Amino acid sequence: MPSGALLLQSIILGLLLGGLYALLAAGLTLYFGIMRVVMIAHSAFLILAAYLAWWSHSRLGVDPLLSMIVTVPLFFACGVLLQRVLLARLRAVTLTMMSVLLTFAIAVLIEGLLGYVFTGTQRRIQLGYGSASFGIFGARVAVVKLIAFGLAAVALLTLYLLMKKTTFGWALRATIQHRDAARLVGIETERVAGYGFGLGLATAAVGGTALALDTTIYPSLHWHWIGPLMAIIVVGGLGSVPGSAMAAMVLGMLQSLLQIPLGTTWAQTIFYLALFATLAFRPQGFFGGRLAQRF
Amino acid sequence: MSERSEVPSLATDGLTKAFGGVVALDGATVEFRHGQVNALIGPNGSGKTTFFNCVTGMIRPDGGQVTYQGRDITGAAPHRIVRAGLGRTFQLCRVFPRMTALDNVLAAVRPVGLTGLLRGAHVRADLDRARGWLTRLGIEHLADVEARNMSWGQQKLLELAGVLMSDPETVLLDEPAGGVNPALLDRIGTLVRELNAEGRTFVIVEHNMDLVMSVSDHIVVFDRGRPIAEGPPSLIRSDERVLGAYLGV
Amino acid sequence: MPSASEPTTAPATTSPATAPPTGAGTTRRRTADRVVQVVAVVLLAAAVLAFPSLAPNPYILSAGVVVLNYAVLSTSWSFVGGFTGYISLGHGALAGLGGYGTALLVTKAGLPSFVALAVAALLVAALAVPIGFAALRVRGASFVIVSIALVLILLLVFQSWASLTGGSRGLVVPRPFPDLLRPEHHRVFYYLFAGLLALALLAWWMIDRSRFGLGLKAIREDEDKAEALGTPTFAYKLVVFVVSAAFTALGGGLYALWFGDLDPVFQFSILTGSYLVLMALLGGVRNLFGPLVGALVVGIGLEYFKVEFGDTQLHLVATGLLLALVVLFMPDGVLPAIGSLLGRMRPAQNSIREVTAAELRDQRVAAAGAPAAREPVDAVASTAGERAQSTEERA
Repeated sequence: MPSGALLLQSIILGLLLGGLYALLAAGLTLYFGIMRVVMIAHSAFLILAAYLAWWSHSRLGVDPLLSMIVTVPLFFACGVLLQRVLLARLRAVTLTMMSVLLTFAIAVLIEGLLGYVFTGTQRRIQLGYGSASFGIFGARVAVVKLIAFGLAAVALLTLYLLMKKTTFGWALRATIQHRDAARLVGIETERVAGYGFGLGLATAAVGGTALALDTTIYPSLHWHWIGPLMAIIVVGGLGSVPGSAMAAMVLGMLQSLLQIPLGTTWAQTIFYLALFATLAFRPQGFFGGRLAQRF
Repeated sequence: MSERSEVPSLATDGLTKAFGGVVALDGATVEFRHGQVNALIGPNGSGKTTFFNCVTGMIRPDGGQVTYQGRDITGAAPHRIVRAGLGRTFQLCRVFPRMTALDNVLAAVRPVGLTGLLRGAHVRADLDRARGWLTRLGIEHLADVEARNMSWGQQKLLELAGVLMSDPETVLLDEPAGGVNPALLDRIGTLVRELNAEGRTFVIVEHNMDLVMSVSDHIVVFDRGRPIAEGPPSLIRSDERVLGAYLGV
Repeated sequence: MPSASEPTTAPATTSPATAPPTGAGTTRRRTADRVVQVVAVVLLAAAVLAFPSLAPNPYILSAGVVVLNYAVLSTSWSFVGGFTGYISLGHGALAGLGGYGTALLVTKAGLPSFVALAVAALLVAALAVPIGFAALRVRGASFVIVSIALVLILLLVFQSWASLTGGSRGLVVPRPFPDLLRPEHHRVFYYLFAGLLALALLAWWMIDRSRFGLGLKAIREDEDKAEALGTPTFAYKLVVFVVSAAFTALGGGLYALWFGDLDPVFQFSILTGSYLVLMALLGGVRNLFGPLVGALVVGIGLEYFKVEFGDTQLHLVATGLLLALVVLFMPDGVLPAIGSLLGRMRPAQNSIREVTAAELRDQRVAAAGAPAAREPVDAVASTAGERAQSTEERA
């Protein structure tokens, strides 16, 4: 039986991890909602943002958090371009399959370029506050993890407010729910879809910066993220933002708790077990989401 | 034919289906008689297509029962329902775009056993039957043309040929008149009557009242997910409730 | 079939009268195409079989084995990806399972090498049933997700379960022919891979021309519609997935026996799956030899990159770029693209669209009373043997 402090620490870490998962899964859910696209390159962009944060810190001496001033707008633009220039070209009939391949190709391309430019060496940001931690009831939590969680929480909240309170959010939700109807009421769905993609990719920029704060990064790391993220959006019910956030928190927590008895590697399998169980017994997902059955 | 009309072919009992908060079917209890041409009419959104989808297994109903020739087929897989003898077309006609017309029809062949599955798709007996249906529908000359290169009307006929190839006793047509020209409309009407005379039962969802009134023996009127009136065309024509449903009175 | 199913118009008499417009031009073209195809197949087979005697050194021969292995795997992939249109990025994992299965059955259970290979393939096929059951219940996107997850989960398991698999230290597979020198070893396995490839192509061809194959293609075109015509789509998908898994496992197992050393990082690499997809798409998934041609191009390209650029990540960049280009500009593959290019140089009608236009014209002529003149040609066109040719996918 693990000690209370260890258990508490795992729960806190699980919450923090779940927050980051939730942010990234929100991006994936957004793409899927807008265009029925499973965006494999999402986590490759995540690692790209992490590399940019690392690079700006180690080469330019800038705090990695400041790199977001550049990466967030840059990724937003990339997202818009990706949707308008590439994905919009694909034939509607085979869109789901071909978009998977296209974004997969982009992921491989990013991994290759990262490996070519920065080599395969593992990188890690050394921050002044990197080793700082504080204790709550005997559990120790690193400050950077808290910062990462804070970033994720702020980004998610912003995304939520954007979706619920702005005209753009209204148009985006309308586009997701019924594209033709949205067009009929005068929404420029193509443009909105592009911005939606930009928004999704911007979450990867924030997530990548958060990731870079306390993780060792290397070019092929994105495969370790895309698996759990895919599992999360399926378990949450494809296309359902609250569903994926819920699934992210639950699975992140489970992973963190299972690390105590099983170790880090085996704990990761929880995502895949959840994925298979969901598809075999409840393909529409566990937290609502009506689209999954048909895709 | 008249004595066979007493046998219910397709029947539903209290069929319900809701999408989110929208009730598409609200306890629909309907009975279609064997050997007749039945029509299912009603204003847009009255649940006709949902009814078709529930009956043919494309959607699982939330509640209620579907029986076909006395057998409970509620929630059965669509291909099993087809094999029980219930074929359908789709509202916006659906064919296999990158297959030839011939292959489109041959796709409805039902192989039996492993040897049946591994037999050539183009064996003589199947080909003859498929060509026969294409001929019957007047599109034999397009046999080797890919469906995506055919006109809308030709695609509609092709879809029907495929459904007939699967040899259904009861054929469900979802808006057969949608988007077709008057000449073709006539042909479809005649065809339905002929096939009915050969012993096939029809259930037709249709907005074109000329077609409905001219071909059907029995009409069921849907409004808000349930039948509000039924009877022969002459009766339906003068039914005030029907008028009310259509005009929203 | 009950007689009620027969259309009232007697088909036998009507088809010759109405078929003429389609028959005339296409039949001759089909015969010509068939001859070209047979010649191409014979040439290809001769080239494949002669390669070991022409290879200047054992390295080139071993590269040939690698390329043939890719050809086997991408052909196996196209049983699912080609017929049904369900794109799997996880077939690398099935090959890896075949490899580890074979290796473990040899080392731990003491089975003879090729018995182990067959048993491993059967085991992987059996395992493909629950995998397919979960992955194929829902449409496209979820299938891809599961296929990726399969690779990642197996990588985790095989790396962590070091007591069984050797973990990242690797697993040494005893050679089936310990007495053979290295070049001879390569030569034997070259022919074994060629044999397996022939088997896979034969199975592909048999399915392609069968009713089962037509059902699978209907699923690719419109799954709901196929179901509504009475095709048990789920069962069809599951069966063809299992067949594909078995062939993939055979390819992976044979590779294990040839290479003699397995490492989870390479056996359960998501890249292997993406290479297979790239090969099959590049060659054209609707064509029997598409994946094979793709494997030749991509396989040789990969070997070249390994020699030229060694450990850099440039092969990833090239793979990604090529895959993106194929998806964007040539989703039907290079073989059909070449086919239509050749067709354009021919004076006769080439693209399907133009055939249609011509047929419509012919149809009008026919309606005006010309059909009698064409009858002889048509009698040929309507024989069952000639018809069977139209099964050939000709995009």
